[in-house]
Amino acid sequence: MKELRDQIEEVIKEEPVALFMKGTPQMVMCGNSYRALNALHAAKAPVTAVDILPDPRIRQELSELSGWPTIPQVFVKGELVGGADIVEELLESGELERKLDGALGDDRSQEVKVVSLELA
Amino acid sequence: MAAMDAEAIQELLERRFPDAAELTVEDRTGTGDHFHVTVASAEFDELPLLDQHRRVNEVLADRIADGSIHELRIKTKGTA
Repeated sequence: MKELRDQIEEVIKEEPVALFMKGTPQMVMCGNSYRALNALHAAKAPVTAVDILPDPRIRQELSELSGWPTIPQVFVKGELVGGADIVEELLESGELERKLDGALGDDRSQEVKVVSLELA
Repeated sequence: MAAMDAEAIQELLERRFPDAAELTVEDRTGTGDHFHVTVASAEFDELPLLDQHRRVNEVLADRIADGSIHELRIKTKGTA
């Protein structure tokens, strides 16, 4: 089994849009995760969601990697975009959609999937 | 975890951003752990939004890490 940190890095690097959140898109467990998810939907983003709640180490490793202290965290093509406040602000200014157009093209998929990390 | 009051956060931020054009801290829930912080500062002019938020997060990093701040909403602005 891969180290937790390597699994997190892989999601960030491989997935077009990664959302680290509390809960899943089907069962969101925090208002801020909900705000980020909604903003991504509104900007027609594909979303690969990772629930950080199953183990506190997920959040710890993630924050060490990203240098970002809070959840949710949104990455586009491996790059940290920000948390709920930033993603909402970028949605309102139209910048989120432009960023996604630039990174993924404008006929991108809007698939939503969930990745579960393997925990030792 | 020990809750914080909005004044304590305000003080920390004022120490870090002494020249802020606007600096407010709102306790959103009245429970001392959900805060909405607004900072307008000339140092944010030309700085990417992500880095603006990083600079605010840094001030409160310990309190976020130990859970005494459960939620931090941030609004930053330049002054230009």
